[in-house]
Amino acid sequence: MADHVGDASKIVYMPGDFVENVKVSEKTSKAILGPGLKQDGDTVMVTKPGLLRHKEPNIYWIDCHSRRYVPVRGESVIGIVCAKAGDVFRVDIGGSEQASLSYLSFESATKRNRPDVKVGDIVYAKLLVANKDMEPELVCIDSTGRSSGMGVIGRNGGFLYKCSLNLIRKILSTNCPLLSRLGKQIPFETTVGMNGLIYVRARTTVQTITIINAIAASEYMDNDQIISMCKKLADTFTMVQ
Amino acid sequence: MAADVKTAQPLQYYRKFIEKDVRPDERTLEEFRPTVLNIGCVTTAEGSALVKLGNTTVMCGIKAEIASPKTEEPKKGYIVPNVELGPLCSILFRPGPPGDQAQRLSQFTNDVITHSCCINKEDLCIVPGKYVWVLYCDMVCLNYDGNISDACVLALLAALKNTSLPKVVWDEDTETIETDHNTTTQLNIICEPVSSTFSIFDNEVLLVDPTVEEESLSTGEVTIVTIDDKICMIRKPGGSPLTPQQLDLCINRSFIRSQEVIRLIQETLNSVDR
Amino acid sequence: MKMSEQKSGSQNVLRLMVCEMAHLSRPDGSATTFQGDTCVMTSVYGPTEVRMAKEQIDRTTVEVVYKPKSGLPSCAEKSLENIICNTCENILLGNAHPRSAINITVQEVQDSGSFTACCINCCCLALLDAGIGMKCTMAAVNCCIDNEENIIVDPTRKEEEQSQAVLTFAFDSKDKNIITVITKGKYSQQQFQKCLVLCRDASDSVFKFYRETMEKKLSKT
Repeated sequence: MADHVGDASKIVYMPGDFVENVKVSEKTSKAILGPGLKQDGDTVMVTKPGLLRHKEPNIYWIDCHSRRYVPVRGESVIGIVCAKAGDVFRVDIGGSEQASLSYLSFESATKRNRPDVKVGDIVYAKLLVANKDMEPELVCIDSTGRSSGMGVIGRNGGFLYKCSLNLIRKILSTNCPLLSRLGKQIPFETTVGMNGLIYVRARTTVQTITIINAIAASEYMDNDQIISMCKKLADTFTMVQ
Repeated sequence: MAADVKTAQPLQYYRKFIEKDVRPDERTLEEFRPTVLNIGCVTTAEGSALVKLGNTTVMCGIKAEIASPKTEEPKKGYIVPNVELGPLCSILFRPGPPGDQAQRLSQFTNDVITHSCCINKEDLCIVPGKYVWVLYCDMVCLNYDGNISDACVLALLAALKNTSLPKVVWDEDTETIETDHNTTTQLNIICEPVSSTFSIFDNEVLLVDPTVEEESLSTGEVTIVTIDDKICMIRKPGGSPLTPQQLDLCINRSFIRSQEVIRLIQETLNSVDR
Repeated sequence: MKMSEQKSGSQNVLRLMVCEMAHLSRPDGSATTFQGDTCVMTSVYGPTEVRMAKEQIDRTTVEVVYKPKSGLPSCAEKSLENIICNTCENILLGNAHPRSAINITVQEVQDSGSFTACCINCCCLALLDAGIGMKCTMAAVNCCIDNEENIIVDPTRKEEEQSQAVLTFAFDSKDKNIITVITKGKYSQQQFQKCLVLCRDASDSVFKFYRETMEKKLSKT
């Protein structure tokens, strides 16, 4: 997903509104409409309430606040294994249906060499198939067959936290200082799933909970406030240790 | 060939007819199906009526019982309408407790009686605070072919017009009541509510008196209940949006329909009396 | 999140509307709406799993549960659920989430007049909070015709009880066409048209209120 483009647009669009002056790219004379926008004949109609974001030259989308995840192909998500059914695992990714994750979609898994995944485990996987008509499918390997960080996570403790989708997008955007600043003071390991789940593990339980609270609190903060919050945390930690 | 299109692509099949302003059963878009009314068919009930609106058949029976009044209204009797949609009338319904549609229809008929004030509930009072008449109106659908609401309201109205209550004598000394079945008084109906249902097809076209196939393809529904020249109730629960002009057309059509129905009831009552 | 102040029951204006959004942590969307003294709380979950019996292969299934303040649900509640369900189905983009369900729960907190309209408005706000795809928004307005043939928009409970007819309209935001009409009591066709025109004009303020509420909610970030 492209970056958030500053606070340039402060106009809130409601469902049913029309977007005017949509720019098209010179090469293909097309405009790319992201989530929240739909083509209605010759006009662009808004379907979700939120702020309109624009990335040059021709990408538009609506920044909508929501908590419920709708599976999109190519996104990396954290899922919880709910059941084993034949050759697939049933994984709950927070959408309207459970996703399927095949036994063979793990690094170096073969028919004889089954992966060590139990019901209740947390997996970090990528969505291979995700459209409104079919059941979503996950894989834990990339196109070359390597796991590149995907697979079962959280074997050694840690904390799994559910938050809203816009917070996730904010944390993952390149200009957000939250994770890097927190990490300077408190070393921690984190996995962020686009479906609203964050996994955090630090050295002690207190540190883990502090980081989770900091992430949760940053939902309504802008970059300056986040930096000052991290500074305050850093001071508290140096005092304590 | 036509039968194949009808099963595989019902919407396209209907659209071809609607373009020419006619429906597959040869009606125009504004025509009601032929209505047949039979009053007084169930002799064991205090009042009864049978309505056939095209193929949709509803039988209404009214039984009167004496009961104590509700505490908040000690001088008024009450009417309990109940609509039954059983497996007999259509494959859509299963045996068991009333489903959503039956409950909605029961509530609808209850609203029609209450808001039209077609019966003065104080007429049903025998002894204030102690004994009142309760009218249990059971509308049983015998054949479900769409537009149940209109058929139920018509059957209920006709049955109420046919209802006669036995005379009740209140003996103050012994504090008992005696019913005399030989002398009966006709129930006084103050006004006559008539319902007309329209279904919205393809977000634009209005069809009067939909059959069950038209209902399954419809994108919305409007029911208008009229009394003489006033409107008693308009129900449009969601469905495709309508402009005020379209709603006006529906209201005009329901006024015309209400006059036809009242004439029909009057003729049937006259023939029964003879 | 407030509208400019108006007196209750005066001729062409709505009572004070206040809304609180996203105050419940579990549902995907929630809203509590006050219209004068009438208060309704709504929560939305969706798109979520649906029972096989209610699954529709080409669209979302909308399920509404209405909880009265006291007593067990009966036929009258089913009727209100049906009205809200059909009204919401009309504005949601049903084709975007087939074989899913959107569960809406409406809780009556206080009924001081214009109750049906408040329920529908609250549902719309909760759906906006949940961020589910919609074709347009909807605004509902109640009005009543009192015994002197005056039309009162957004009446209080007392005014409704003393009136000869109560009408509820729901309009869509695109062309202000009528999505829903529910009426009680007797009135003439001319009175109906007058009520329709007054309520249509009043719905502008409701749409404006939605916009202001969303602006306030999004300005926090």
